[in-house]
Amino acid sequence: MELVLIQILNGLQYGLLIFLAASGLTLVFGILGIINLSHGSFYMLGAYLSLTLTSYTGDIFLSLLIGIPLAFAFGALIEWLFIRHLYGRDHLQQVLLTFALILIFNDLQRVVWGTRPHSVPIPSYLSASVQLSDVLSYPVYRLAVAGFCVLLALGMVYVIQYTRIGQMIRAGESNREMVEVLGIDSRLLFRFVFAAGVALAAAAGAIAAPIDSVYPGVGEPVLIISFVVVVIGGIGSIKGAFFGALLIGLADAFGKVFLPEFASVVVYALMAAVLVVSPGGLFGRA
Amino acid sequence: MLTRPRPLVLAVLAALLVAGLLIPAFGGPYAVKFTTRFIVFAIFVLSLDLLIGITGLVSFGHAMFFALGAYALYFVSSTSEASNALVAFPAAMLLAGLVAAAIGAVAVLTRGFYFIMVTLAFGQMLFSLFFDTKIAGGSDGAYIYIKPAVSLAGVTLLDLDHRTTFFFVCLALLVVVYAALLAVARSPFGRVLQGIRWNEGRLAALGFNTYVYKLLSFIIAGAFAGLAGVLYATIDGYVTPDLFGWRQSGIAIMMVVLGGVGTLFGPILGALSFSLVEEVLKTESLVGPIATNWSLALGVLLIATVLGAPRGIAGWLEPKRGAEAAAAPVPATARERRPMKGKAIETEGLSRAFGGLIAVNDVTLRLAPNQVHGIIGPNGAGKTTLINLLSGALRSTSGRIRLDGEDITGWAQHAIARRGLGRSYQRTNIILPFTARENCLIAAQARHPEALRFSTRGYAKEEATEAAYALNATGLAGRADTVAAHLSHGEQRQLEIAMLIASGARLLILDEPLGGMGPEETGRVTALLRDLSADHTVILVEHDMDAIFAAADTLTVLVEGRLLAHGSPQDIRRDPAVRKAYLGRFGENEAVA
Repeated sequence: MELVLIQILNGLQYGLLIFLAASGLTLVFGILGIINLSHGSFYMLGAYLSLTLTSYTGDIFLSLLIGIPLAFAFGALIEWLFIRHLYGRDHLQQVLLTFALILIFNDLQRVVWGTRPHSVPIPSYLSASVQLSDVLSYPVYRLAVAGFCVLLALGMVYVIQYTRIGQMIRAGESNREMVEVLGIDSRLLFRFVFAAGVALAAAAGAIAAPIDSVYPGVGEPVLIISFVVVVIGGIGSIKGAFFGALLIGLADAFGKVFLPEFASVVVYALMAAVLVVSPGGLFGRA
Repeated sequence: MLTRPRPLVLAVLAALLVAGLLIPAFGGPYAVKFTTRFIVFAIFVLSLDLLIGITGLVSFGHAMFFALGAYALYFVSSTSEASNALVAFPAAMLLAGLVAAAIGAVAVLTRGFYFIMVTLAFGQMLFSLFFDTKIAGGSDGAYIYIKPAVSLAGVTLLDLDHRTTFFFVCLALLVVVYAALLAVARSPFGRVLQGIRWNEGRLAALGFNTYVYKLLSFIIAGAFAGLAGVLYATIDGYVTPDLFGWRQSGIAIMMVVLGGVGTLFGPILGALSFSLVEEVLKTESLVGPIATNWSLALGVLLIATVLGAPRGIAGWLEPKRGAEAAAAPVPATARERRPMKGKAIETEGLSRAFGGLIAVNDVTLRLAPNQVHGIIGPNGAGKTTLINLLSGALRSTSGRIRLDGEDITGWAQHAIARRGLGRSYQRTNIILPFTARENCLIAAQARHPEALRFSTRGYAKEEATEAAYALNATGLAGRADTVAAHLSHGEQRQLEIAMLIASGARLLILDEPLGGMGPEETGRVTALLRDLSADHTVILVEHDMDAIFAAADTLTVLVEGRLLAHGSPQDIRRDPAVRKAYLGRFGENEAVA
């Protein structure tokens, strides 16, 4: 029974983390029409930023305050340098350019941070564990990660539902051409959305750094899982990304316990099943 | 459509082949190994181009079939004696092909972004499966201690452990695979694949089961990737789960794009240049300190290629299609008439509701053969819904439809298409990169869509005749070899009708065929429709009242989903209900004109 509870907690926490990464990916798909393979690199960027900044500030939450705006600015720069040339081009070129970005980012990472794995300290005030029963406890930091993700998700809901830029995003989500017809400066909107996507991925990477260690290519498994989440949820759907991520998180957590050798296969089998039933994803348009 | 390679291309390929044949004589063991590796990759990316360039399916998981081929060698090898390549190689293709069938069955349900992500995810799934479990050494990979040999009846003919022998085997296989894939792409089967790449909806409407075609393409590509994989495993005698990784798939896509998508010869050149560039960038004596960060340099180079030369190396060797001046229009010869009857269609109490809205409400109609029937009505009257019901694009909520007396209610669109009902769309729906003739040829091929054909034998003459007939009947004979994208708007609409005729349709349903046309083009197409009604039945939905009153034998007036009136243009003009509900808005003058 406790095992089930722990796995539910693990699954939800992992799912929420994946949601942060996947929501950025699905926004960029839905609004910019761009398939961004380098999304995992931004997760990695977040992890390394949190490593460096925490070594200066001594606290991961302080480093998040500095790191997330940095990642946002970096995202805007990448959009201006590369991504904007891809709008309206075919998928193949998008795949190639963003794949080339992975090669570049991986090498840059090696030059700046080296290849040795690092760990980021958990702040002392969150290093305790909650006692679930006589034998089982659950680390507070993991709960804090879940809380942080929920907070960011709520912030996203607020921005999307109640702000002007959110209105444009919703318009773009349902009909991309419409945004341009409405005379919105799509260049700025696109840059904002891409940068926000990068910032979300970086936030996920940063907050997860103390749980996972920080190593080269740390974002790649996250990229793949985010893709699975987006496929399950439906391209461009934030709601889909949310439920998809939780579903994947739970499937992964339970798979690891009940089918240890086939844990990762469970996740993909789930994706295949969703596709057969609904090829456009659970919340996809048409 | 993919043409035969130009002499320049053949010359380049022949030069490369000769250079390859000379390598074992003049190059050292490293050169032989390097070239063998490049050849294996060339076979791999050739198979990928069948998917990406010919069928338009961007797979980001193609490396999984390569890896399966490699593992197949491990599975058939023993530690005591050499496996037989004549068993191992087909086994690799079979394993890769079977897995491609299973994965493709799900993956080709999706398209575009989804397909990219789904193939990536499946590749990763197989990676995890081989990484996490104990299959073939799990994450450590496994060695193949004895390399395969080609033997027949117990006699060893070729020992593939011998580097040079193996090199020549690979080179020969590259030539065979290139020729085979070129033949597949240029066959009637491949013609459909190319059509799917550019306009899948049109191919489906013509009566092709595009799912089956895409799946077969996926399986063929997978099997050839498996062949490349088994060759790769023979080079080093080592297999690792990393072979499944998406990096491998990404690099393969790069080679295809670098060389030129959809050309088949391009990817060979792409694989060669990629291998050379990678080799140079890794060599410190040549590039100095860049060598430590070669993948960064490679990334920059690739971005430059994507943004600067999207057509790849092939772009330098082949002119862009259709850029050549179009042939001067040839006056159409007198149209050949066929003793053929159009098909009649009738509906009985036909209705279709969308939620609470009844778009078509209890419509009973009888449209006689060999006439032009117009359907008119204000916006939202249900005209398009009605023709969608007739053609099977939509299912009716209630009521029946009969085509020449046969009940076709609830049939799938492609099944109805095969009974001789063809339809065009409001937006021109042709295959733009194909010539007018190629568009008609693919339409003519839809007469026998149940045959997945790899050879033109038996049908080539019939198809050529039908295409020529259709082009002639629509006045496009002089433009037959012009690329459709270069035709005028009016000609494109004519071509659409020509495709319906070539596909054997005897009932043509045309949705606003005159939309966006000038007066001269309108006159020409109206005359064409009248002429076609000699051997076809024509149903058209049109907003141009002058044209439809002039062209139609009968008119059907729909208002708010209901049948308001049906009769000859004269009857409709005089009908008081029609005047009140519909024509009145245009003023009395026009109504009596």
